[in-house]
Amino acid sequence: MATIRFKNVQHAYPPPKGQDPVYALKEVSQVWEDGSAYALLGPSGCGKTTLLNIISGLLTPSEGKVYFDDQDVTDLPTSDRQIAQVFQFPVVYDTMTVFDNLAFPLRNRGTDEATVKKRVHQIAEMLDLTANLKKKASGLTADGKQKISLGRGLVRSDVNAILFDEPLTVIDPHLKWQLRSKLKELHQQIGVTMIYVTHDQVEALTFANKVVVMYDGAVVQVGTPVELFNKPKHTFVGYFIGSPGMNFLPCKIDRGQPVFHNNILATSHPVSDDLNGRTVVGVRPEFVEFADDGIPVVIEKIEDLGRYQVVTVKHESEVIKMVVNEDQRIPAESPKIHFNPDQIRIYCDDWLVEGGDNE
Amino acid sequence: MTYSRKWFVPTLYILFLMLPIYGLIAMSFKTTGEILGGFSFFPQNFTLANYKVIFTDPTWYNGYINSIIYVVINTVISVSVALPAAYAFSRYRFLGDKHLFFWLLTNRMAPPAVFALPFFQLYSAIGLFDTHLAVALAHCLFNIPLAVWILEGFMSGIPKELDETAYLDGYSFSRFFVRIFIPTIAAGIGVTMFFCFMYSWVELLLAKTLTSVAAKPIAATMTRTASSSGYELGLLAAAGSLTIIPGAIVIYFVRNYIAKGFALGRV
Repeated sequence: MATIRFKNVQHAYPPPKGQDPVYALKEVSQVWEDGSAYALLGPSGCGKTTLLNIISGLLTPSEGKVYFDDQDVTDLPTSDRQIAQVFQFPVVYDTMTVFDNLAFPLRNRGTDEATVKKRVHQIAEMLDLTANLKKKASGLTADGKQKISLGRGLVRSDVNAILFDEPLTVIDPHLKWQLRSKLKELHQQIGVTMIYVTHDQVEALTFANKVVVMYDGAVVQVGTPVELFNKPKHTFVGYFIGSPGMNFLPCKIDRGQPVFHNNILATSHPVSDDLNGRTVVGVRPEFVEFADDGIPVVIEKIEDLGRYQVVTVKHESEVIKMVVNEDQRIPAESPKIHFNPDQIRIYCDDWLVEGGDNE
Repeated sequence: MTYSRKWFVPTLYILFLMLPIYGLIAMSFKTTGEILGGFSFFPQNFTLANYKVIFTDPTWYNGYINSIIYVVINTVISVSVALPAAYAFSRYRFLGDKHLFFWLLTNRMAPPAVFALPFFQLYSAIGLFDTHLAVALAHCLFNIPLAVWILEGFMSGIPKELDETAYLDGYSFSRFFVRIFIPTIAAGIGVTMFFCFMYSWVELLLAKTLTSVAAKPIAATMTRTASSSGYELGLLAAAGSLTIIPGAIVIYFVRNYIAKGFALGRV
C-alpha cells in the first residue's frame, strides 16, 4: 500500500513520420491517496488509459516522475510495482483452469498453497465463479471471462493499487450494478487504493469518493460528486457531469455582475471586472426556473422524463435547458426565466472565476 | 435435388481426386513387368517385394531418413526464428515495419531455382555441401517468411493486454513468452510447423542440388527411374506411396486448426 504521486508527468506517443508529437497527457501532478477510491472520468481519448498505464508501468512517461510513497518508480518494471490492473476486455490464460487463473498472481509471489486456496475461494464466491473453478477458462462466456479478470485483479491483498480500465463494458447491465456494488464493498473491506476509469458519469459518481475529471490530456478537476455538480472548475466538467449538462451563455461583466444580452444576472458572488478573455456564465438546468419577472424566452421543446421534465427554451439565439418538476406549471404565454443567484458561475476562457463573496 | 442425391457430386469429386493416389498405391503392389505389360485396375500378382526392397536397401531407406532429418531441422529453425520475429511484427511499431513485413512475402515469389546456383557455390566453399544442415538452411529461405506470416496472424489475434496482465501478475518477458504466450498460440505453432514441414518435404530442386550421397533426399532418389536391372516402376510407386504418409500424419494432428490458418489469409 502506498500513496502514489505524479510529478509533472507528461506523455507523448511516437508521432507519425514528420509530425510533432501529440501529448496524450499534458503535465499532470496529482496525488492518489492511499486507500481512496478514485474514478477517472472523461471522454474517450482524453488520456485516462495512458494515465493508468503510467501508474502500472506499462508505459514510461516521456517526462516527469512517478513516486510510490517516497520511492521513485518511474523506471521500475511493471512486474515489480505490485499493481493489479483489470482491462476493458477479458484477459484470461486460456490454457489454465479458472482456479489456476485466479491463483496465478498469488503463486507468482510465492504465496503458500493453503492461503492461495482460501483467497481464491473467497474471490470466486464473491464473483459467483465457484461452480466454474475446475473448468478451463477458455470455455467461459465473455462475462465469465471478465469476472476472472476482475478476480485476478482482486485476489491479492498486498497490492499498492488496483486499477480498473472500464472493466464492466462487456458485462450485462443488471450484473453491472451488482459487480460495481461488490467492488465498492470490497474497497471498504480491504481499503486498498482503487482507480476506476470510465466514461460513464453514473458509474464514476456511484463508485468513487473522489472523481478525477480529465479532458484533453489534463486533469481539470478533482472532487467529490457534490463538488463536481455544484462548482465545476471548468466548463467541460459542467457540460460532462449532470444530465442535461450545464447551460453556458456568453456574457459581459459589468460591475461584478454578468450581463447576458442586456439582462443583468444577479449573482451572489460578484467577480472582478477586468477579466481578460472570453467570459461565459454557467448555470445548471436544475437552478433555472420560470418566474414572473426575468429573461423573456420562447419554449422550444418539452421532454417528459417521468420524474421531471426537461424544458428547452431560447432567448435570442441562445438555447437554455431547464429541469422542471412534474407538478410545476409551465407558463403558456410569454414565459420568463430566472436563475438562482447562488448557483450562477462565471467562467473566463473555460476556467471558473472565483467570486469575491463565496460560500 | 433431394437429400438422397446430395452425396453424388462430392463423391464424384473425391473419386476423381483419389484415382491417381489409388493408381500409385495399386502400382506399388505390382511387379514392374505387370506395370509395363498393360493397364489393370487391381494387382494381378499381389507382391510386397517393392516395399521390402525399400526397407532393406540403404540407398532407398536412407533417402527417407535424410529427408526427415533436414525437414525436422528446418522446421525447428524456422519456427524458433519466426516466433520472436512474428512477435515483434505483431506487437511493436518500428521504422519500416510494414515494408519489411511485405518484403518477407516477396521472398516467396522467387522460384527456388534462382537461388540454387549461389547456394551451391556458397555451401561448397564453406564445406556444408552434402549435409543435412545445408538443405535445412536453404529451405529457411522460403519457410521463415512463411512462418513469420502465419504466426503473426495468430499472434495478432491475442490481445496485447494478455502480455500486460502477465507483467502485472509478476512475470518477466521471457517467462511470459515461454510459459503463457507459446501455450496460448500452440495451435498457430502447429499450423506453422505443418506448412514448414510440407514445403520442405516436397521441395526437390534445392535439396537435390545441395546434396550428392550423404544427405540425398528421397525425392532425389526417386528421380532415377532406371537402374542396372532395368526399369523399376513398382519400386518407384512404393517409394511414392511412402512419401505421402508423413504429410498425412502431420496434417491429421493440425486438422482442426488448419482452416484458421487459411482464414487468416496467411497461407
